[in-house]
Amino acid sequence: MCPVAPNTRTILICSGKGGVGKTTLTANLGIALASQGVSTVVLDADFGLRNLDLLLGLENRIVYTAQEVLEGNCRLDQALVKHKQQPNLSLLPAGNPRMLEWLKPNDMQKIVGMLQDQFDYVLIDCPAGVEDGFKNAVSASKEAIVITTPEVSAVRDADRVIGLLNTNGIKPVQLVLNRVRPKMIESQEMLSVDDVTDILALPLLGLVLEDEQVIISTNRGEPLTLSGTKSPAARCYSNIAKRLQGENIPLIDPAKEGGGLRDRFLRLMQTKII
Amino acid sequence: MSQHHQTIILPPAGLADWNSVMKKLISEAAPGSTDLDCGDSQLGVKELQKIINSIQKSGLSIERITSSVPETIVSAKALGHQSNLVFRRTYKANQAEVPSTSPTNTKRLKSNLLFHSYTLRSGDDLTTEGDLLLYGDVNPGARISAGGDVMIWGTLRGVAHAGKNGDESAKIIALQLRPVQLRIAQIIARGPKEKPLPGLAEQARLVAGQIIIEPAETRFNRN
Repeated sequence: MCPVAPNTRTILICSGKGGVGKTTLTANLGIALASQGVSTVVLDADFGLRNLDLLLGLENRIVYTAQEVLEGNCRLDQALVKHKQQPNLSLLPAGNPRMLEWLKPNDMQKIVGMLQDQFDYVLIDCPAGVEDGFKNAVSASKEAIVITTPEVSAVRDADRVIGLLNTNGIKPVQLVLNRVRPKMIESQEMLSVDDVTDILALPLLGLVLEDEQVIISTNRGEPLTLSGTKSPAARCYSNIAKRLQGENIPLIDPAKEGGGLRDRFLRLMQTKII
Repeated sequence: MSQHHQTIILPPAGLADWNSVMKKLISEAAPGSTDLDCGDSQLGVKELQKIINSIQKSGLSIERITSSVPETIVSAKALGHQSNLVFRRTYKANQAEVPSTSPTNTKRLKSNLLFHSYTLRSGDDLTTEGDLLLYGDVNPGARISAGGDVMIWGTLRGVAHAGKNGDESAKIIALQLRPVQLRIAQIIARGPKEKPLPGLAEQARLVAGQIIIEPAETRFNRN
């Protein structure tokens, strides 16, 4: 059993399906929480295909990894990479992708136990799938955020993951719906928010609107929440961070988001007439 | 000749010297493979893993895990073991206790109803030999099956199989019937394309070799 600091929140960010935005959420949430003043560490549990360091722009500053810490070859604070612009955020890099077999649930619990002594939030970026990597990550987590997109396949995988989280006693499990396109929902070409929450039956922690800025920021290695842009997705991520901290911020209504200036103007007109 | 197959039966949960009894059971087992019967103990993944580890440490391999508790089966499935839900009280044994002259024939309900109160999520599989009442949804990718009726107090979005042992009078009833696939006895039907009206409980039954969907009957007793 790992010693647990009473106030540390250890949150697993998982989805089942790959490519729905786990790592992007982890990076942006990490920055957003840190900028709200809580010490946060992000742990890349995707040892085989690590790229959390890329998204945070920290790849070239990694010296030691979690693997060396566990083997006793370096201290934890040597392996932690502090973010230059946001010193409240640290990254603990995963081990060498070529040495996958070394990690067991016990090791994961040991690492997270060490992190819990130092930080308020431990965010664990879970690998896709429900195999060993997922089991390792689950064994060290207390609560979870399941992220999915409004697509049938992503929702199906998220459902399976939620079932597994429940049998492993992870509580609470909250939902983030990523890449929401209000226009497509309106024209009924995309699953609506209700369609998804009907099936998954989880409390909704937040929606993230589809936003091209996400791709740009990923390629630059600067999370959206860092640059302080007013982009829609950035706003969504920082709202999620605030809700996680217990602030009561209403969810955005996709029906009121879509479209450009003209649509907004028309809506304004309609509301005045009625 | 079928090979003799052994089963390790888990001692009841409340037993004081549980550990030593378990050790004795493992040491007495013949080498090779064994089934594990968890009885009515409700086991989480961690507890079950511990038990499995202790059995495997002595060189035995586990072929199948059985239990009468769905949660234990879900744990076993999560650990990647072949597992089955077994209903303990058999139908035949109880049949004799109920006088056949009773006006409302509740034999099946009384003796053989399994009640389960969780939503079945993708990948879950719940099965029983008698009737099955689920308080929760059956999500896409989940399967529910019963020897008798399948009754769902919730939405059916996955696959349901009633009368899996060949009972053609078996029915599938749900508050909302939106299945991927319906099976009654040997007949298989795809779910309807259109969504049902909200607030109308529906049932599926076999009529002349075809599965039909209609508003649910309010009288559940069988004659």
